[in-house]
Amino acid sequence: MVEEKLRWEWEINKKTSWLGVSLRELFHYKDLLFRLVRKEFLSSYQQTLLGPFWVLLQPMLTVLTSILIFHRVIGVSTQGIPPLLYYLAGICLWNLFSDIFLNTSVTFTQNVQVFNKVYFPRIIVPLSVVLLSALRFVIQLMLFFAASAYYYFAMDVAIPLSTYILAIPVIITVAGIGLGSGMLFSILTAKYRDFMGLTQIILRLMMFICPIFYPMSIVPGKLQWIIHLNPLSIQFELFRYSLLGKGQFTPDQVAYSIAITLVLVIGGLLWFNKTADRLIDVI
Amino acid sequence: MIKIDNVSKMYRLGTIGSGTFKRDLNKWLRACLGKKPDPFAPPDDSNIKKNGGERYLWALRNISFDVKEGEVCGIIGRNGAGKSTLLKVLSRITRPTEGSIKGRGKISSLLEIGTGFHADLSGRENIYISGSMLGMKKAEIKKKFDEIVEFSGIEQFLDTPVKRYSSGMYVRLAFGVAAHLEPDILIVDEVLAVGDAEFQKKCMGKMKDVSQQKGRTILFVSHNLQAINNLCSRAIWLQKGTIHAIGDAQSVVNKYLGAFQKKLWKREWMNPQEAPGNEWLKIISVELIPHLPNPTEPIDIRTPLTVKFKFYNLNDQIHLSTNLVLFSLTGDCIFDVPSTGGEFKKGVIEGECTIPGKFLNDGSYYFSLYFLKDSSRSIFEYEECLHFDVEDFRENIHWYDKWVGAVRPHFPFMLRNYNVVNNGVGVLNPHHNML
Repeated sequence: MVEEKLRWEWEINKKTSWLGVSLRELFHYKDLLFRLVRKEFLSSYQQTLLGPFWVLLQPMLTVLTSILIFHRVIGVSTQGIPPLLYYLAGICLWNLFSDIFLNTSVTFTQNVQVFNKVYFPRIIVPLSVVLLSALRFVIQLMLFFAASAYYYFAMDVAIPLSTYILAIPVIITVAGIGLGSGMLFSILTAKYRDFMGLTQIILRLMMFICPIFYPMSIVPGKLQWIIHLNPLSIQFELFRYSLLGKGQFTPDQVAYSIAITLVLVIGGLLWFNKTADRLIDVI
Repeated sequence: MIKIDNVSKMYRLGTIGSGTFKRDLNKWLRACLGKKPDPFAPPDDSNIKKNGGERYLWALRNISFDVKEGEVCGIIGRNGAGKSTLLKVLSRITRPTEGSIKGRGKISSLLEIGTGFHADLSGRENIYISGSMLGMKKAEIKKKFDEIVEFSGIEQFLDTPVKRYSSGMYVRLAFGVAAHLEPDILIVDEVLAVGDAEFQKKCMGKMKDVSQQKGRTILFVSHNLQAINNLCSRAIWLQKGTIHAIGDAQSVVNKYLGAFQKKLWKREWMNPQEAPGNEWLKIISVELIPHLPNPTEPIDIRTPLTVKFKFYNLNDQIHLSTNLVLFSLTGDCIFDVPSTGGEFKKGVIEGECTIPGKFLNDGSYYFSLYFLKDSSRSIFEYEECLHFDVEDFRENIHWYDKWVGAVRPHFPFMLRNYNVVNNGVGVLNPHHNML
């Protein structure tokens, strides 16, 4: 009987695991992961004139609009930091989040065709989204560093190199929030299409109650708790603190944000693994 | 090696709406409180069942069978029999509701060709994308890249986006990638029914190559019974989600054909209103008359057959001729015999054609009659007017497998001794033996 059991290499039954496939099996699909990243990257710039330059052009145009609207028209303070650097930092980080969140949340609805015809661990798709978004983010960050260097050398603006290292955990946390909530929404949208409209609204809401275009310091004390409800908020303050030296945060706010991130990532992963293989029957 | 053990798959019918959300909540609450049983648990029997307003369909019901290593196993059945569902369960796309499947070896499934193709990207990119989706490693694809390109014949268009491809090129490229998979277990849905006849032949050839490689296990769904006969050693006939027959391919296919066999030797219409026909002609009768010494005997391969038909010609001074076309039940045309043509007046015309014995192979057949005006223009096609079976008959032949060939004619064919004489010139032995 023991031998009989050993002979089988795999088994398919109705049980799905919370943990999903083993890391070894996941590793087996690494070529597919990178291929999907490449496919998405290439296909998003097919039949465009500027091609991959859009990765840089998009934040540049957004920054210019922000300077015009928030700095010139409304006159929001940038805490003495050149507005270009101030907005660029915020927009890069926000793009990272919104890229991951939006593209992960359509994992099932956009890939029904493929999921209906071929098997691979479904988690590969959100992972490829994270990789591609990270790639775009790194390119955009280069733009930020180039701008920083210009202000540092030509304009004599102080840039705190010593806190740069702090940006890494911030980036990981923001990506985590995007991935975790994106995975939760991918399941919800697969089951109930109502959530598709909701993702846009949530994204916009998150953008407004987040100090991207304004510093935390200008928010009236009584209302600050609303902003802090958003686990992303403190990460933006931290990010600007690490790259530009200006930002306000307290340890308990950081702890709250990290706790929420962990809940989202772990909860998202577990639920995703548990339901991914069954969702095909309801999409 | 795969062991399929009591696999069932149930689908919920109907739309998903607020009811679904309520039920999901209900189920979840019950699970939390540890209450049982679930009022929405699947019911037990019948194909479709209503349960509290919910309708269920058992696409598969208690399917159990084994597939051995190196075996090529065909799956046949009508539409909706559960063939595709079975393949989906086997390839891990959907989970079974009950039962389990255990196996050994790497599985690849080919339920569609061109899975994951991106229309905007080049043929080159798409080879890599489709290949890795089907489970190939990058190095593997690289190694086979030239072979794939050659197979699909798209060298010149490698860097063109596939959306600019003709549909034939697209299909060839897609199949090219799929044909170069090398898993231990290959699951193939009806993907061969694409492309033109020549390409289909190429595909079948490739499938045959693959199936003959050592240790390759293949599960193969097809409506092409010839293909099943050719490629598979074993076949499974699914009906309404259950296994109706399982066994050696030839006998299962024959049983399957037998179930749909129609015996129709004579048709007659008394009322011209109901008779098939059009403004040119009306059929009066068609009849198949087998030349049997004893009318209770079945038709076998020795039996001469006569087809007689009558029709009413509705036009004067018309040049008419008829083609008698024989098809096998699988739809392959066996022959197409034209009648003599001639000028006809309005009135009843009769036709007769005799097919000699010892000509047809055993099998199920049907006749169609095509009526032509001026030997060129088709004026009426009377499809599948007669159905009949031809049984096998063998004498002094120690060969019991299916006799191959569309027809089985007896042409004079002889073997004799060939004597070599001293001058090196061969002469025929006058006392030759006829076999």
